[in-house]
Amino acid sequence: METRGQRTRHALITVWTLAVIVFLYLPTICIALASLTASRYFQFPISKWGLDWWAKTFNSIEIRQLLSTSITIALCVTVIAVVIAFFGALAFARYDWKGRSVYQKLILLPIFFPQSVLGLALLLWFSTLGLPLSWKTAVFAHLVWIVPVVTLVISIQVYSFDPALEEAAFDLGATRWQVLREVTLPVLFPGLFSGALFAFLLSWGNFPLSLFTTGADTTVPEYLYAKMVAGYTPGVPVLGTVSTIGATILLIGGYGLILAMRRAKTQDETGRT
Amino acid sequence: MPDTQPILSLKAVRKMFGPQAAVDSIDLDIAEGEFFTIVGPSGSGKTTMLRMLAGMDTPTSGDILLRGERINDIPANKRPTCMVFQSLALFPHRTVGQNIEFPLKIRGEAPERRKARALQLMDLLRLPQSYYGKNVLKCSGGERQRVALARALAYDPQILFFDEPLSAIDYKLRKTLEKELKDIHRETRKTFVYITHSLEEAMVMSDRIGVMRAGRLVQVGTPQQIYSTPNTRFVSEFVGDVNVLPVSIGHDGKLHDATTGLHLKAPPIPRDFVQGHMVIRPEFLRFLESPEQADNAVSGRLYNEYALGSRIQYQVRVGDSVFVVEKLRQQPFTGRLDDEVIIGWDARDAILVTD
Repeated sequence: METRGQRTRHALITVWTLAVIVFLYLPTICIALASLTASRYFQFPISKWGLDWWAKTFNSIEIRQLLSTSITIALCVTVIAVVIAFFGALAFARYDWKGRSVYQKLILLPIFFPQSVLGLALLLWFSTLGLPLSWKTAVFAHLVWIVPVVTLVISIQVYSFDPALEEAAFDLGATRWQVLREVTLPVLFPGLFSGALFAFLLSWGNFPLSLFTTGADTTVPEYLYAKMVAGYTPGVPVLGTVSTIGATILLIGGYGLILAMRRAKTQDETGRT
Repeated sequence: MPDTQPILSLKAVRKMFGPQAAVDSIDLDIAEGEFFTIVGPSGSGKTTMLRMLAGMDTPTSGDILLRGERINDIPANKRPTCMVFQSLALFPHRTVGQNIEFPLKIRGEAPERRKARALQLMDLLRLPQSYYGKNVLKCSGGERQRVALARALAYDPQILFFDEPLSAIDYKLRKTLEKELKDIHRETRKTFVYITHSLEEAMVMSDRIGVMRAGRLVQVGTPQQIYSTPNTRFVSEFVGDVNVLPVSIGHDGKLHDATTGLHLKAPPIPRDFVQGHMVIRPEFLRFLESPEQADNAVSGRLYNEYALGSRIQYQVRVGDSVFVVEKLRQQPFTGRLDDEVIIGWDARDAILVTD
């Protein structure tokens, strides 16, 4: 039996939790609602509902171009960042070497460097080197900031890795390459996977670095900013919602994939017994 | 003609870490099929030595010979030897079966043959066949030990190395696994090289024991030799509680207790012996009615008693020093704490060591 005090406490906790969730998600929900208007201008409450702007957005070649640029950048960043960060994380957490603690601190610096300043600095570098700005330079710029983050994410997994696993595999006849493929990578996979998710989403949503380094190409966040500053249409909330939904699907899908893999493993066990 | 060549030979093997020698001029032969245990406290260099034997470290100088062939520079994955790690190093993302089959998979054997061999090894190690598909992380401590051993055996090594695999296991299970390991050794007839910090563990399993201290092998011998004729105070104390009396040869050419000056009867004294220690194991000390009942006797106060299961241990204070006496539980003894007692031992039960 719950006492009255306990009941009050539970009620308060529930209200508080709900309030936090509402404050967190209200803006997102408002954006989604704003995208469902049929009128040209932003006004609340919405007088006429409709999916017109969704249709317009999806039919627009410009928007498709935006999405494809953003996705290309994010995919390139993900692949390169995970590869670099994997080895970076091994150096960060797996091996003991002279200068490791300096390295561990140095690698954190780009994360705390203001991104807009970093973007400007990179822009200056690219022009000094005579590199034409495009989505490719943006990939590089994103990497400068994202690789350290992904390195930290993967390092967490590497810290719990028993180096004796590699030695044991080697001792059992595996070559260095087989050790990597059969033991190191599979054991570290959850870390690599969350590192990849981080890389993709951070690149997908990045504005300050893209602003300075994409040149003639435009990413989704850049477009949204430009349209909000001048020339708002309900296409902005539509694209914002699409972007949010995409990220959500990726996160939930990733989580689901890991769950499914775990379940397949347990079924494998029971199936064979 | 019997094959008398040792399977493993160490010739003046040394391993330096900076200016420090972790392993220093070790000479050792290990015979085919032997269960050889290296015992030493932590930091004595036993793990370094094992890692060199397994190919995970290379000696700074000296040679390691496998059946007469120098293997110093052959890496672990090319050596016909295999190690069971202290942490066991089971692959957490694989099942029991996949763990055991790992070396066979690396070798490229067909899945059916791998499985057949894995099940055969599980039988040998008394793991139920139903464990084949079990997640290795869901196995108990003892089961994991068996999986690790099965995986090593699947490699079909000529020599198996063990790096204190039982150190993290509770006492009762450890005792069972020690005996099992000895049984497995008998059944597989492979050469086992085991390291541990527990001489008690080494005694149970080994054909021969090497005691290490500060990078050197202090004594090599059968468990019986290590127990009854330790060559140093260090080895004698490693076995367990012992009584150690500082002794020296007096002007009369006889042996005297260095602190009390009392004359002691001793086993034949080595020719060059001038001073050292007399070691008497607690079970060779006994309570006496009168001092004449033993070659050497002292009197003291019964200070404390500890029940050790089948035996009872007593502490007897004699002057400033404490003697440890053990007797079997069923042997009669009426002494009580704080009683004055006489304890004694015979010359033949005492051991003289020089340092």
